[in-house]
Amino acid sequence: MISRERIAQLEERARQIRRDIVEMVYRTKDGHPSPSLSATDLIAALYFDILKIDPANPEWEARDRFVLSKGHACPALYSALARRGYFPPEELMTLRFMHSHLQGHPYAPKTTGLDATTGSLGNGLSVGLGMALASRIRKLDYRVYVITGDGELGEGLIWEGAMAAGHQKASNLTVFVDNNNYQSGGTVGEITGVYPIDEKFRAFGWHVQTIDGHDFAQILEAVETAKQVADRPQAIIAKTIKGKGVSFMIGDNSWHKRVYTDKEYEMAMHELGGLR
Amino acid sequence: MSVEFVSTRIGFREGLIQLAEKRDDIVFVSTDSLKVVKGEPFLERWPERVVEVGIAEQNGVAISAGMAAAGLKPYLCTYAGFLTMRACEQMRTFVAYPRQQVRFVGVNAGIFGGNREGVSHQFIEDIGILRTIPGFTILCPADGDQVRQAVLASVDIEGPVYIRIGSGKEERVFPDDSPFEIGKIRILEERGNDVALFCHGFVTNRVRAATAALAEKGIGATVVEVATLKPLDVEGISAVLAKTGRAVTIEDHTIIGGLGSAIAEVIAEDCPAKLVRLGLQDRYGESGFPDELLDAYGMSVESIADAAARLVVEAR
Repeated sequence: MISRERIAQLEERARQIRRDIVEMVYRTKDGHPSPSLSATDLIAALYFDILKIDPANPEWEARDRFVLSKGHACPALYSALARRGYFPPEELMTLRFMHSHLQGHPYAPKTTGLDATTGSLGNGLSVGLGMALASRIRKLDYRVYVITGDGELGEGLIWEGAMAAGHQKASNLTVFVDNNNYQSGGTVGEITGVYPIDEKFRAFGWHVQTIDGHDFAQILEAVETAKQVADRPQAIIAKTIKGKGVSFMIGDNSWHKRVYTDKEYEMAMHELGGLR
Repeated sequence: MSVEFVSTRIGFREGLIQLAEKRDDIVFVSTDSLKVVKGEPFLERWPERVVEVGIAEQNGVAISAGMAAAGLKPYLCTYAGFLTMRACEQMRTFVAYPRQQVRFVGVNAGIFGGNREGVSHQFIEDIGILRTIPGFTILCPADGDQVRQAVLASVDIEGPVYIRIGSGKEERVFPDDSPFEIGKIRILEERGNDVALFCHGFVTNRVRAATAALAEKGIGATVVEVATLKPLDVEGISAVLAKTGRAVTIEDHTIIGGLGSAIAEVIAEDCPAKLVRLGLQDRYGESGFPDELLDAYGMSVESIADAAARLVVEAR
């Protein structure tokens, strides 16, 4: 049973991340807000509960790794890293500026605490699998978590990686699919024909769960279940809402990449706890 | 004269075994390519250090990137074009850009390497593609033992490394244990300063033979091996060009993007000279025997000597 305090703590962290996302996109005038918001609760759960990490020792060899395969959602990840103590939160407001360590898409050599360079879709599952296989070879006991989008499941490399992970029985690899049902140009159903997702992963030899990706109890329980799986990689299909937390962004896919006006910014922040 | 063959594929395997004997971070990544380089002896000794990903080169490169990020030194060996073309983006964005220490070994390079397989397995673009990607070290050793030494030398280079190898039927160019120095040209023949012949890889013996034909015509040639295409030894190349003022490049690669282009860049920016580029003249090869193909596509001993002689005679 997951305690109410544990969940309340994560809800507060997620709200802070959402506020940072809106603030970053508003102040730096660029970025992908609604794909960041759909992944926010997964990222909050990872960085403030699940991952075995030490911000004071970011290069710790036996740390858990995280790969944001849908790299365009990096405002959420940058916020989590800052709020977890890897760098000062005020640096978030340099997103996508020259000389910032926060690139438009994640670049590991520049950002403290960032495990993987991503951005070009479809690659993160295989990069994460490489990290997971390295833990076996180096006899380091860590786990690897990946978040992919659902649109990026159209990339062939995702399924090359899925096949290899199943074949290798990479049981220390857990992949969340941020199933917000949208990609840049429309719904994934219309554009990619990606469904059913669960049966595909199962056919590739994965343990599969489907959860509400905004319900922390379900996220934490699913990870606990995944950790018990000893012979297969695990997929957690997280049903999410693109733009979650800001009502006027939900169902309007123009927020895939869009900058807030002053009024929109105020409305969004109002929904996320008010202007401070 | 009998020709001795020293397989570049075996050279790779032997180099990797020597590395793995000394260090436990060496990993052999196979895209169903382990048998291509007769890697079974490695597999027998270190089964836990072979990662087989199947026929999936993008996957092999991305997995290697992840393993390198987690502290390993992956060596991924498979067909040169399946790496540099199919998995080009993974080599760039996930390996070179974050400076991961993945080592790529490209098999069947050139029409000599691909020979009877035909164009789908003859890779004449690999160097040109990789030269445009920041951060790569590109090595083109001339024979099997040179490949072994290039593998040994590659292990501690910062960032990614590409080593170009062939089909396994390469002629010996150097005596065993001849040094392989990364980043430096090597003068192989010094018969005079009328013309410089720049080359690398499996055409090297042909180029050396051409100097004898040139000498009979009273033309003194210098043969320069450029086994490191990146970083290029601009200073060494310029010093040779300053003496000869005339150059021929000979490469089993398209003349666009490879050695010919590299020398042309040095000529344009650092040391003016006349240049003729031999190699694939912006066209594909075809199936055939290796030597027959090199002859037919402008890299016979006679073609090399003729091209060099024309340059010298024009100037006289």
